[in-house]
Amino acid sequence: MSWNKVAVVGAGLIKMGELFDQSYEQMAAGAYRAALASVDTGTPAIDAAIVATQRGSLWGQEGIGGNTVPSALGLSGIPCTRVENACPSGSDAFRIGAMVVASGVHDVVLVIGVEKMRDKSTQEGLLARAAAGHPLYNRGETAPVLFAPFATRHMHEFGTTPEMLASVAVKNHHNGCLDPYAHFRNEVTVEQVLSSPMVCSPLRLLDCCPQTDGAAAVIVTSAERAHEFTDKPVYVAGFGVATDHPYLHEKSTYVGLPATTLASRRAYDMAGVAPDDIDMAEVHDCFTITEILDIEDLGFVEKGKGGPASLEGETALDGRIPVNPSGGLLAKGHPIGATGLAQITECFWQLREEAGERQVAIRNGVALQHNVGGRGSGVSVVNILTRNA
Amino acid sequence: MTGTLRPVGVVGVGVAAPSLRLAQSEVAQAWSAGGGRAQVAVCDGDEDTLTLAWQAARRALDAAGVESAAVSGLWWGTTRPPFAEGPSHAFLAGALDLPSDVEGCLCAGSPHAGMEALVSAWDALAAGHAEVALVVASDALVPGIGTGGEVATGAGAGAVVLVALPGDSNGAGPPAQLVSRISRTMAVVDRTRGDDDPGTGDVYDPRLFREGVYLPMVAAAGEALGTQERWSVSDPDGKLAAAAAKRLGGTLVSAAAQGAVGDAGAAAALLGAGEALGAAGSLGVVGYGGGRVTALSVDVRRPVPGADGVGEALSGGQAVGYVGALKARRQLRPQTDPIPMGVPPGGAAFVRGNAEMLALQGARCAACGTVSTPPSIHPHCINCGGTDLEVVRLARRGRVQTFVVNQTMPPPFQAPLPLVVLDLDDGARLMVQGISADAGDLAVGDEMTLVLRRYALERGIPIYGYKAVRVGGASGTAGAAGSAAAGAETAPTR
Repeated sequence: MSWNKVAVVGAGLIKMGELFDQSYEQMAAGAYRAALASVDTGTPAIDAAIVATQRGSLWGQEGIGGNTVPSALGLSGIPCTRVENACPSGSDAFRIGAMVVASGVHDVVLVIGVEKMRDKSTQEGLLARAAAGHPLYNRGETAPVLFAPFATRHMHEFGTTPEMLASVAVKNHHNGCLDPYAHFRNEVTVEQVLSSPMVCSPLRLLDCCPQTDGAAAVIVTSAERAHEFTDKPVYVAGFGVATDHPYLHEKSTYVGLPATTLASRRAYDMAGVAPDDIDMAEVHDCFTITEILDIEDLGFVEKGKGGPASLEGETALDGRIPVNPSGGLLAKGHPIGATGLAQITECFWQLREEAGERQVAIRNGVALQHNVGGRGSGVSVVNILTRNA
Repeated sequence: MTGTLRPVGVVGVGVAAPSLRLAQSEVAQAWSAGGGRAQVAVCDGDEDTLTLAWQAARRALDAAGVESAAVSGLWWGTTRPPFAEGPSHAFLAGALDLPSDVEGCLCAGSPHAGMEALVSAWDALAAGHAEVALVVASDALVPGIGTGGEVATGAGAGAVVLVALPGDSNGAGPPAQLVSRISRTMAVVDRTRGDDDPGTGDVYDPRLFREGVYLPMVAAAGEALGTQERWSVSDPDGKLAAAAAKRLGGTLVSAAAQGAVGDAGAAAALLGAGEALGAAGSLGVVGYGGGRVTALSVDVRRPVPGADGVGEALSGGQAVGYVGALKARRQLRPQTDPIPMGVPPGGAAFVRGNAEMLALQGARCAACGTVSTPPSIHPHCINCGGTDLEVVRLARRGRVQTFVVNQTMPPPFQAPLPLVVLDLDDGARLMVQGISADAGDLAVGDEMTLVLRRYALERGIPIYGYKAVRVGGASGTAGAAGSAAAGAETAPTR
C-alpha cells in the first residue's frame, strides 16, 4: 500500500543550458513561476520553501542556508532551508519537503533546486572535485574518475562494451531532442560517441553529462488538500535514502552502487511496489555507465545485463522499461541541485500523460526517480510517484 | 685527518635513477650545435631529490634486511634539498617511516654534500652514538639553459646502510667496511648557484678547472688515501674521472653509472661505487665539490647486498626531447594561473594527513582484520564499525582491482594520469595515482608497487605521496619509471 500522504500539484523547470545571461536568482524565479503556472486551479499560498543547491557560494553568500531565495521569489518572510546532499540534493529536498508536509507543520511547501554550474570556469569546477577529499589520498579525482572505475570493472566482469555504453548516450540524446527543456537537442550516433575524445578512460566525451545551469521547482501539499489545486495530483508513493562509504577504495563492489540498491529497496517497500510495476524511470545518468549500473541496482534488469539491455532498446521510450525519457543528465543536463526536481517534474508530466512526443505508455501509474552521488557514490535517493490515489 | 678512525660496516646498498633520459643530440639540435652520444637522466615532473633519495634508501634497507625501526640516524647529502630551507630531512625520514627520535643531518651546499653525509654517519657510528646509519646521497642538477651543463649534469641517488662494528670484529663481520679516509680543501669558485639563480653555472674556464683545481685536488686526496684496486670518482663533465683514475692507477668503476645518468652531483661518487660493492677488493670513493674533496677506502670482502641490483636500477628510462626536459625541470612553464589545492599545506587537515600519508599508514581492526585507510578519517572500521584499531604500515605491493586513465584535469595534474584502485598484498585497499608510462596498457590484475612521488608544488611547497608503478611495466624497472612530461606533449588540453 502506497504511502500517498503528500501530493505534487505543480511542477516546472526552465530551459537548461549555459545560462550566462541569467543570475542564480533569475533561474530560481523562472522555475518557481513555471511550477506555479502548472497548477490547474487557484494559486497555492506557499508556507515554506526548501532549496536544493549543491555549491552554495559562487562569489559570496548567495544560496548559503537557503535564506536568500524567498526574497528572489517575492516570498520574503517564509521559512526556507537549504538541503545539500551531493548530486541527490534535489531529490533529497523533495523527500524532506514531503515529510515536512506529512508532519502537518506546513501545508504547502515549495521545493526548488537551483544550480549555477557555468559561472565558474570548467577548470575551477573540475578542480573543486580533483582537490576534494583527503588532502593527500584521492588526488586527481575529477568527476569522471568517480564512475569510470566501475566501467572498467563492469567491462572486465561482464563483457560490457563501449558500444553498450554508447547506446545509453544515443538513446538519451534522442529523448532530449523531444524535450524542449533539454540542454542538448541533437541526435548522436554510436560512432560519434565512440570517436569523441577520451575524457577518462573508458569514458569518452559523449559518455559524460555536460555542465549545465538550471532550476526546477515542485509544489507539494497534503493528499487531502491536493484536489483544491488539481484533478490530477501525483502522489508520493514512497522514498528511500541510503549511504555508502564515501571513498572509492572503500567500495565493496566495483560493478554496482550498493547505496542505490538499498535506497530502492526501502522505497519499493514503502510504496508497496516492485520494479516490474514501474512504468518509467528518471535515473542518474551522469555518465553512460551510471545508467547501466542504475537499471541493475534498481532491479529493472539482472546484475551484469545492463549493457545488453541498453543496446537492445529495453530502456527506450517504447521499451519494456523506458528510462530517462527527458533526455536524462546526458542530454537534459545536470544542474546538480535542480536535477532531482527536474526529474520529478518529468515523472509528474509522464504520469499525467502531458509529456507530448516523448510520452511513454502508463500502465500501472507508477514512476521512479533516482539520484546517486557524493565522492564515491556515497549517497543514493529514490522517490516513487504514483497517480493512483 | 688525525687520530685513529674505527672502521664501520657496509651491509646494504641501493641506487635510483629518475624516469627520463635526455640525449646529448636533442640538446645539440635545440641549439644547432654538434653533439655526441652521451645522455643524462632528468627528473620527471613528479620526481626530485627527495623521491630519488627515498627510492635508493628503500632499496638499500630492503637489501640489508634492516627494518625502518632499527635505523638510528639518517644522513642525507644533496645540493638541492626540496626545501631550500625547511623540513627536507623530516619529510624523507617520515616517508621512510624512520623512528621519531632518528638522528643525523642534511648536508648541502655543494656536490661534496654526499661525501659529507657519508663521513658524518661514519663518525656517529665510530663514536658509538649510533648503531645503524642510513646514508643517502641524491641529486637532480638543473643546468642553466644553453650552458654546457645541459649535456653533463644528470640526476640519481645512492644509499648505503652502515653499522657499527663490535670491538673485536674478527669474525665473519659485515660484507664490506669503510676503513680510511682523506679530505682536502681549497678556496676556489668553480661551480655555483646563488640564492637568486635558478640553474647551476660554471665560473671557470674548463681547462683552468681541470688543470688548476680538480685534477690536483683529486690526485692529492687519492694518493694520500693509498693504492686502491678500483676507483669511483665524481666527475662534473664526464671526461675528468678517467684522467684522475689514470693518475691514481687502478680501474675506474664509476664510468658506467656516469654514462647512464650523467653527473649525479652529490650522489655521483656513491652511485658510481654501487655496482663495485658487489665484488671483493679495495675500492676508493672520491667525491669532489665546492673546493672540497673527500676520498675514502672501502674494503669489500663479500658482495654487499643490493649491489647486484644496481645495473638494472640505472638502466632503462624513457627518452625525452629537449622541450619535455625543460618542462620536467620546470624551466618551461605555461603562463596560466595555477589553481590552488583545496586543502592548503598550511592547514590543519594537511598536517593531519601528511604524516600518515608519508608513512603509508592504515588502521587495522582488531575485531575483523579489515584495514581502513587513512586512519585519521576512520575512527570506526569500514567493515564492522569496530573502534579497536591499530595503526599499521601498509604493504607496498598489490594488484589492480580497477583503474581509469584520466585525460582531462586542471593543473597541476598532467595527462595521461592513471588512477588505480589497488588491492595490497596485506588485504588493504588504496586508490592512488599511477604514472603516465603505464597508461597505455594497464589492466585489471596487473601487479603494482608503490613509490614516493611529488604530487605537486603547491604554493611553492612540494607535496609528496605514493603512486602505483607497474612491476616490469613499460617504464622498465618499477620505481625508476614514468614520464608525465613526455605524455603531456601529446595530451589534449581542454
